[in-house]
Amino acid sequence: MIHVRGLTKHFADLQRGSLVALDGISFAAAPGQIYGLLGPNGAGKTTALRILSTLLRPTAGSVTVNGFDVTTQSSQVRRQIGFMSANTAVYDRMTAWEMIEYFARLHGLAGEALRQRMEEVFARLRMNDIRDLLGAKMSTGMKQKVSVARAIVHDPPVVILDEATAGLDVLVARALLQTVAELREQGKCVVFSTHIMREVEKLCDRVAIIHRGHMLAEGTLAELRERYQENDLEELFFQLISRHEGTRSGQAA
Amino acid sequence: MSWSNIRWTLAREIRDQLRDRRTMFMIVVLPILLYPLLGMAILQVSQLAEEAPVRVLLVGREHVPEEPPLVEGHRFVAGLFNPPEQARLVELEFAPEHASAAVPPADPLSQAGLAVQYGQYDAALCFPSDFRQRLDQFRQALCQGASGPEVPRPVFIYTTATEKSQRAFARLLDVWQRWNDRFRRANLAAMRLPESMFAPIEPETIDVAEATGHSGAAIWSKVLPVLLLMWALTGAFYPAVDLCAGEKERGTLETLLSSPAERSEIVLGKLLTIMLFSSLTAVLNVLSMGTLGWVVLSRLPGFGPVPLAGAVWMAIALVPASALFSALCLGIAAFARSTKEGQYYLMPLLLGTIPLAVLPTVSGMELNLGNSLVPVMGMVLVLRAALEGNYAEALQFLPPVAAVTLAGCLLAVRWAVAQFNCESVLFREGERLDVRLWLRHLVRDRRATPTAAAAASCGIVILLARFVAGVAMPSPGDFPAFAVTVLATQLAVIAGPAVLMAFLLTRSPRQTLLLRWPPWLAPIAAAVLAVALHPAVKVLQAGVFRLYPLNEVIEKQMRDLDALFSPAPFWAVAAILALTPAICEELAFRGFILSGFRQGGATWRAIVISAAFFGLTHSILQQSLVAAVVGVVIGYLAVRTESIVPAMVFHFVHNALAATAVPVSRYVTDRWPALEWLLQPGAEDGQVFRWPAVLAGGLAAVAILAWFHRLPRGGEKSAPVNAPAASETAR
Repeated sequence: MIHVRGLTKHFADLQRGSLVALDGISFAAAPGQIYGLLGPNGAGKTTALRILSTLLRPTAGSVTVNGFDVTTQSSQVRRQIGFMSANTAVYDRMTAWEMIEYFARLHGLAGEALRQRMEEVFARLRMNDIRDLLGAKMSTGMKQKVSVARAIVHDPPVVILDEATAGLDVLVARALLQTVAELREQGKCVVFSTHIMREVEKLCDRVAIIHRGHMLAEGTLAELRERYQENDLEELFFQLISRHEGTRSGQAA
Repeated sequence: MSWSNIRWTLAREIRDQLRDRRTMFMIVVLPILLYPLLGMAILQVSQLAEEAPVRVLLVGREHVPEEPPLVEGHRFVAGLFNPPEQARLVELEFAPEHASAAVPPADPLSQAGLAVQYGQYDAALCFPSDFRQRLDQFRQALCQGASGPEVPRPVFIYTTATEKSQRAFARLLDVWQRWNDRFRRANLAAMRLPESMFAPIEPETIDVAEATGHSGAAIWSKVLPVLLLMWALTGAFYPAVDLCAGEKERGTLETLLSSPAERSEIVLGKLLTIMLFSSLTAVLNVLSMGTLGWVVLSRLPGFGPVPLAGAVWMAIALVPASALFSALCLGIAAFARSTKEGQYYLMPLLLGTIPLAVLPTVSGMELNLGNSLVPVMGMVLVLRAALEGNYAEALQFLPPVAAVTLAGCLLAVRWAVAQFNCESVLFREGERLDVRLWLRHLVRDRRATPTAAAAASCGIVILLARFVAGVAMPSPGDFPAFAVTVLATQLAVIAGPAVLMAFLLTRSPRQTLLLRWPPWLAPIAAAVLAVALHPAVKVLQAGVFRLYPLNEVIEKQMRDLDALFSPAPFWAVAAILALTPAICEELAFRGFILSGFRQGGATWRAIVISAAFFGLTHSILQQSLVAAVVGVVIGYLAVRTESIVPAMVFHFVHNALAATAVPVSRYVTDRWPALEWLLQPGAEDGQVFRWPAVLAGGLAAVAILAWFHRLPRGGEKSAPVNAPAASETAR
């Protein structure tokens, strides 16, 4: 469903010259699977997911989503995905219904099919009470629901969630994780980036640990635990990162 | 491109704007309230201003004749004002009389001058001590039929430093005119001559505008076009900032960009929204102002109603005008990170447009082909003509105005789409302002050839330095001084910055400045091309001069310059006018600047921009236009051969021919009179070449350019100039 090969991204940076945000990462995610990208802040998760959702172009490497190339077939890729991140806000001067309807129309839904799909999504996410509420008047939890609804209204095969639980309280975060688990049940391919170990342990079928644009490890949680002989994911994460930092400083010396 | 996506985006943006109180206030509430309030305020303020009396010092009251009377109490006689009530607007104070002969009076004139200078009085009116006496002598002589002594003159003292003093002066002049009038009538009576002798012949006037319904339209034709365009711009400004920078700020842009809508569809949806609000603002403002004018001003003399056909013209012109302004605002607003930043960026656009819109109105500029080709200005002039009722004239210049506006609009839309496709613009993060860090980055991260930004900076530095040098350097009096001026300007102001920047900001100055040998035939071909193209360039030049005639001052300067060259030997003229610019200007424009703009990979765009900079360095507009066109040809040679040499050769030959065309052609026709069907050295308009020469040269030029086109690209042999650009755009 998603194939990432040697994905590299450079940014121009005033202080450091060229900044390598991603250095040849590769992974693959299948339908009915939640693929976790785990890494500290600044690891390159957001950059990777922005490339997956065609907001950024890769410097090198290839990415295909449901068979479409992100560089050459970007608009087809965007039809396959629902993308939600901490940076995808809701419109202040639109009600929940208007906003979801607008994005559904951009995805080509119309007429009765559009109405039915919207009723279904509003019912499933229990959003009927905020139907006519303007974005500016919504609480963070309500906004998050609208964002999820916006990302899945066109029933995409791939859902990309970038730090989707950031800034949410426990109740809202829990409800969101439950929705993500339901998406897996529906056979969606979900890519989920986070820096919270608990979310990975609870949700992800496979996980990639990323640090400073490098992929440090990749596999199912069981595979990783066995490979590194460490049952505690947090410990495993720290070990990998310290080892990588050690090699970096060794190289620098 | 999906029209339904554009339609949905447009619908969403319109609803969004309609729900934004600030936008609605600016677009609807302000124009409806603004003009009535403004009208009231102006009326109030003008009453205040008119009622303020001025203080005038009268020196030598005792020397003023009693008939006709001038002063009454502490005022001028009321009959000297129109209406007489205005007499209270001038308060008089009298300088003391000097009765005692023992104390000699100080110079009353200089005392009065000081009093006005220090603001004690707004003006002073001084009568010389023999005024009455000489006036009496004058009148007596007149009655006896002899020519009298010279009429004595009073002195008016005022200062142009203050507005109030100028007003006082104007009132004094008015009073003096009327007093003079009475004085002459009194003279006629004394000479027993009828007053009718003095009656002026009043002409009869016919206003033909009354027949066409354009009576008093002149004021509208000045005000409304400017108002329409300025409000179209202002109306585009606020929605543009909100729809682009505002969306970035609120975090919804990323949401929108991850939808299947293409960037061009998003841009068009936003553009149409901005256009709609821009037009709405302009229409409401003009309507509000027009209504106010109709109700209030049309009662005053000189004001008529807005002609209806003119209103239709304005409605039609509004569409392209708002499209142009909307696209410009959209492109600029897309670059900004926040609404605050957007407002900073849009200010220069406003400042640039105001002179273009206002200049034709205040300077009484004529509508002609040249002026109609200037964006905004052309539209103001055409609208003015239409409002004045000159429809034939307006229609005649409509095509060029429409073409220029449409071209500007298309370019602006393309630019806006490019902004939306540029990830460094969309995801720009706040960098701290640190000049040292930035300079270090420039040197550390330099590439083989300069960036487009470096090229643009170089161009701007050259233009500014050229301007400053032009103003600061004294105009040369002889050829050696002229030669020094040209050498200094070319070396220090044009070549200097380019070469310095090539060494500081690029890893390969050689590649940047195209310092490599071309194929051996290329310089020869470039020289022949310059000769072949010369007649066509002359025709172009003549066309430009017809379109934008030189004003007399510049024409005189050019004649003076020509006079400087005549005593100088030919080789010296060629070295200064042809060789020096060929080397220095080519290093700058086809070297550094062209290489920089080629970083994006768009060769033709780079050629055109570098040619535009090349044109702008020529101080006279007419020269700039011709130079820009020639610059495109030279840029093409540089790109095809990846060498500066053919460009320099072409430039040298071109300049040398321009300086010597007349004497050389005269020599040729004297020697071979058979060639007169090609050359006419004595032509009055300076057109040395006849049409067969122009055509033959043009055909030869096309053939030579085709030869250059078939050359293997010089860059393919060495590292291509735009190689790093490819990797850069892929990022």
